Amino acid sequence: MRKIPYRAVLLTLAMLFSFSVFALPAEAAEEINYRLKWLLNTSVVGDIYADVQGVFAENGLKVTVKPGGPERDAIRELELGLAQFGVASADQVIRALSKGSPVVVIAQLFQVNPLQWIYRASAPPINTLSDLKTRRIGITYGGNDETIMRTLLAKGKIAEKDVRLFSVRYDYTPFYQKKVDIWPVYRNTQATILSRKLEKEGEAVQYFNPAEFGVHFVANSVVTSREMIEKRPETVKRFIQALLRGWKESLSPENEARALETLQQVDKDTPPDVLLEQLRITRQLIVPPAGTAIGAIDIAAWKQTEAIMIQQKQIPKPVRVETVLQSGFIPAD
Amino acid sequence: MLHRRIYQFLIIYFMALTLLLCIKYALGLSSYVIPGPYEIWSTFGNVLRRYMSDVMDTLSVAIIGQIVSVFLALTVGIIGRQTTWFGSFVKVAAYNIQAYPIVALAPIIFILLGDGFLSRLLIAAMICYFPLLLSIIGIMSEPVTDIEHFYRVTGRMRWQLEVKIRAFENLSKLTTVVAGSATLAMAGTIVSEFIAANAGIGYSIRIALYQSDLSKILIALFLIGITLSVYQGLLETTGSVVKRLWEIR
Repeated sequence: MRKIPYRAVLLTLAMLFSFSVFALPAEAAEEINYRLKWLLNTSVVGDIYADVQGVFAENGLKVTVKPGGPERDAIRELELGLAQFGVASADQVIRALSKGSPVVVIAQLFQVNPLQWIYRASAPPINTLSDLKTRRIGITYGGNDETIMRTLLAKGKIAEKDVRLFSVRYDYTPFYQKKVDIWPVYRNTQATILSRKLEKEGEAVQYFNPAEFGVHFVANSVVTSREMIEKRPETVKRFIQALLRGWKESLSPENEARALETLQQVDKDTPPDVLLEQLRITRQLIVPPAGTAIGAIDIAAWKQTEAIMIQQKQIPKPVRVETVLQSGFIPAD
Repeated sequence: MLHRRIYQFLIIYFMALTLLLCIKYALGLSSYVIPGPYEIWSTFGNVLRRYMSDVMDTLSVAIIGQIVSVFLALTVGIIGRQTTWFGSFVKVAAYNIQAYPIVALAPIIFILLGDGFLSRLLIAAMICYFPLLLSIIGIMSEPVTDIEHFYRVTGRMRWQLEVKIRAFENLSKLTTVVAGSATLAMAGTIVSEFIAANAGIGYSIRIALYQSDLSKILIALFLIGITLSVYQGLLETTGSVVKRLWEIR
């Protein structure tokens, strides 16, 4: 029987071990999955910028930015361990809390909700809520816009029979055909395309912004799990620092060309001039007033959002949303 | 036949539900990800009436869509069974139309027909029609040599008789195909409602998805499944009754 060459085997194993150790980088980047709320467009310019321009990498993170969509839900993915961070709207967060989800909000991206209504400038202006009376109003049944519009109607003491609600879809034809007077749009994305089409036909547009009538329904925010906050606070800190730096740089007027170039890499279907317009409107919706950092959490708006959802029986009882708003990770501006 | 379909569906549904609940409790997931039994039960009580009426609405459109597609598939199948140039032309046209994905065609349909009954009907019929056509062409192209030979040599064969012979000899297959296509008609109607209608269970599922309410979706799936099982069971029973009556004649 042949003798096993133990020394040679040991030497080979030792060599393999040392190669593998020295082959590793000094500090491997931490892998993170980040699930967005919607597809890659101007509404997520800061997220894309932080990824493409290597801001995440500079903070020792290897982040996979995953586009969202109607069938994606970042909060579910946090719980299932498929993502460590995500973007969710305030109503999603509040619904999840009411069902016991351990979700935590670590930054609020939109300071003004981009969900607004577009209408023709030739129509009478909406200066007060009672100006909504007799109009044909587009809403997405079950969507945020339905909640917001019902709140506005209640605030203006307008009964449903005094307006005509129209169920909207992705197709704008009823608005083009003037079957609907005011149509819900994302001010920084869809609205730019819609208004250009109408301008070509010689029609100017106006916007109805619920925030101007005292309804501050919070839009997209960055969320993570309670477990991440407790077990990996350093990762949360590095992530949010990198992400908000991405947002800040992408929305800085001096950096506009670079931000545009970054956007074009992922949104090839939108013409550059439209992207530029979208970027400028996004800046107005994201950048808070002077003295406040990007990502600041508007606690009063969150409380109002919760109150609206209770009022409309979308959640059975209060969830005390302010207890999960953690602005401690947001770096000072 | 009918009660077997129902209890088989119940077994499948409750097995799937149990699996979901096992995952929920094994992974410690909140009711936001997978709702608990109490939440599913209370949602059932809250939405049963509304969702049942939605399912019936969807089913009525699906049945009409299925009837349309059965007639269409029979017509095309009967013409396409011929080995003539026209027969092959009809087959090619029928196959090519099906190559377009319905999701891409849906916006055009909705622009032309609006988001009402006709659009739902057309989409249901389009989704249900092609598998039916394939089966019908398969059945109608296959000669029943033993019987057909007699009529051919005596010079009494007409195309109507040929179709009758082939349909009768393959009645069990045809019944299975028609019963199976009910699922497709229902799925087609739900897809159309999900994309752009203002009524039906597909529309309600869409709203439930907006509200991240899985318990409502589970109830909708239950009602769709049970209704479809009853409908398919009835189709199969009707098929066997027709066959028996035909055999007596």
